[in-house]
This record gives sequence, C-alpha cells and structure tokens, in this order.
Amino acid sequence: MNNQTKSQFVAVASITSELSAVMVVAKEISLAAANAKAIAFRAGDKAKGFQPITDFINELAKETIDLVTDINVYALLLYRLTVNEYRRTGAYNRFEIATKLAEGALYGASMQAPLENARARMQDCQRQFKRDVAHLLSQLEAVMHHARAARVIAANSRIEASQAGEYLQSLQAVAESVDKAAHTIHDNVQRCRVALSIYRSN
Amino acid sequence: MKMTKIYEGSHQWIMFGRDQNKPANIIDSNQYVVRTTNRCLLMDPGGSELFAPMMAAVLHHAPVEQITDLFASHQDPDVISSLGLWDQALTNAKLHAPAIWEGFLRHFGCDSIEYVPIPDHGGSIKLDSLELELIPAHYLHSSGNFHVYDPQAKILMSGDVGAALEPIDSPVFVDDFDSHIDKMRYFHQRWMPSNQAKRAWIERVRKLDIDILAPQHGRMFKGDDVKRFLDWFDGLQVGIAV
Ligand SMILES: [Fe+2]
Ligand SMILES: [Fe+2]
Repeated sequence: MNNQTKSQFVAVASITSELSAVMVVAKEISLAAANAKAIAFRAGDKAKGFQPITDFINELAKETIDLVTDINVYALLLYRLTVNEYRRTGAYNRFEIATKLAEGALYGASMQAPLENARARMQDCQRQFKRDVAHLLSQLEAVMHHARAARVIAANSRIEASQAGEYLQSLQAVAESVDKAAHTIHDNVQRCRVALSIYRSN
Repeated sequence: MKMTKIYEGSHQWIMFGRDQNKPANIIDSNQYVVRTTNRCLLMDPGGSELFAPMMAAVLHHAPVEQITDLFASHQDPDVISSLGLWDQALTNAKLHAPAIWEGFLRHFGCDSIEYVPIPDHGGSIKLDSLELELIPAHYLHSSGNFHVYDPQAKILMSGDVGAALEPIDSPVFVDDFDSHIDKMRYFHQRWMPSNQAKRAWIERVRKLDIDILAPQHGRMFKGDDVKRFLDWFDGLQVGIAV
C-alpha cells in the first residue's frame, strides 16, 4: 500500500471517528436545551426571552444529529469506495506487470483487453471518489454552519439570561454548555474537512 | 517461472513453478494447468504475489479469454489468495472449490467469477471433451479438500499431499525417493492432522491408475515412486503437534 492510499484510508476512517464525537456533543446540546426549557418555564416572565431560544437550540441540535447520521452513511460508502479503488489500482498494477512479463508470449496480446478494462475501472473509482468527497465536504459545511449558528444563539442566551434574576446562573450555565459544544463540533468538523480537502481536486 | 509439460495427448498438462523472482519469505508453490482445445484450467493458481508471473506464463499456452476454469484444492492463501486478481482479469470463468469454503474464499474477491461449490463427496470438471474427477481429500490437510484426477493422463494433482519444502532450484521430479523422505516428513507430520483421514485417502487413491502424483509444493512423483510415496505415507504418524 503506498502512502497516498494509506492516508486516504486514514482520512476516510477519521471522518467516522470525528463524527461520532460530534454526535455525542450534539446530543449534549439537545439535553442542555431541554434543561433550559424547564428552567425557563419555572422562571416564567423573568425568562420570557429565553423560551424561544431553547426551542431554537433544540431544533439545531436535532438537525445536526440528522445531518451527522446522513454523513456517517455517506462516509461508509466512501470507505467502501476507497477499498474498491485500492483493489482496482492493485489489479491494474499487477496487470501491467503481467503484460510486460508476457511480452513475446504467444498469447501476450490477449492481456490488452483486461488491462484496458482495469484502467477504466480504476479511473472510474477515482472520479467517483472525488465526486463523493466534494459532496461530503458540502455536508460537513452544513454542520459547520449549524455550529456557528449555535454559537450566536449562545451569545444571545447569555444576554437573555442576565435578565432572569435568580435564574441567571443556571441559564448562563446552559448558554455556556451550548457554546462549548458548538465549539467542539466546529473543531471536529474542521479537522474532517482538512483531512478530506486534499482529495478534492488533485 | 519455470514451465514443464508433463503430459501431451489430446490435451496437455503443464506444471509451473520454481519462480526465481518470488519474494524469499513466501513458500514456493507448483501451479498446474490443463489445456484443452478451447479451454484452460488453472489448479491451485497461487498467492497474489504470484499472479503476474503466473498470468504471463499461462499466456504462452492460452489467451486470457480461454482461461475458463480455476480450481482451489482448499482455502489456503498459497493456493488461491490471487483469486481477487483473476476475478478482475477473467470475464467468463468458474472457480471450482470446496463448498464449505465458499463464504471464506469470497473474502479474496469473487464477483465476476462463478463459484462452483464442490460437495463433500466430490464431483468433476468438464473441459471440452475431457472429464476430470474431483477426489475428496478432506483433512489432508484442510477440512474441505479435493484433488484432481485425470484418468486419461493418469495424473493426480494432490494439493499439499506429497509436498516437500525445498530450495527454489531443485528438480521437478523426485529422482531418489529415499533421500526425498527427509524433505517431506515434517511437513506431513505437522500439517496433516488425521491418521484416519490419511488411511481413507490412501485406500481411495490406491485404486486409481496413477503415472504422476503432482503436489502443490516440491517435486512430482513418477512411476514406481508414486507407490513408494503411498507406502511411506501409509506408515507415517501424522498430527504430531498434540
Ligand atoms: Fe495448504
Ligand atoms: Fe500449500
């Protein structure tokens, strides 16, 4: 296995592991939202501005979870494609060697067709991989977008929390945990994108 | 890759092996090919390292599209780990291999090649007008294991039975049976698990008319050496690791 193939395997495998961390954090956000909703309900009028925010946070967490679920399915497909490409490239390389070794053999020329087919199949795989990487990158971009939105909401939550009297601390803690979670998601997804981006165009 | 024609009649048997370019740390193996008018059967075609030299060697005898049949005596990597590569090279081929190994062998990649499962009691392979018999050799050494007998050429391709571990430049036929014993003893004692299976196989094989016994490693046995081998094997205790 050459280095290019190795790092491709690693890049694709790392997506799944980064995303499983994203999933955990997204579930934390969703929990924080439920928590915040309960507090806001108890706080009544003092936390009026906070109530719609909790719904929004919850929605965002759900969307992130759905998106990551989709991406995981896609990442698995990409992994299979990588395995396929590895197999096809290996076959093509060996067919090339066989063709060279068979120079001068009575039926050496009959190797041309399998060699051409193997080349075409390998190139198909490479093209498909690039297409799929581009698609995956745009899905990851959507998750990043959600994470950025969550951070803005967290900032708003902090402001709303300051009006909530004795509930200030617990609502601020909610805002804090949403912000932290969004930060983590942002970082993890960013790492996925960096790992994948080198396969987009070269 | 050295090629030795071992039978020439209405069809041919060719032995391939002694590949000087193979990596030093993998076991040397013999591959056998039966060539009929329009078809070509590869028996124990070998590990993936061997694919390119083997393919190139076969192209001296048949075009790719006439390689229609593969046979795997059992599931070992030195026998058939090249399957995934043949699978991508051949468009119209069958793999004859033990039924119990199907789910395992497919790990090597077997999408375009048709897997023809050999039931435990054996079967046959038809190539043009030639019919080869698949002789059960279970537990010698694999739990699902077959040998190929050609009643016309009187050749028994015997998989790992009769195998010897030898230098890459050794001759293809046994020339002095007694001195060959040392090269076979440990292999048979350690790799073959069952005295009972061995006895059943010897009984079955003694009834066949055999000119050449052709193992997957080491040298072939010709003429009286075939009987010498069967007698020696008959008296050998196997399964020594327990
Ligand atoms: Fe074996
Ligand atoms: Fe073997």
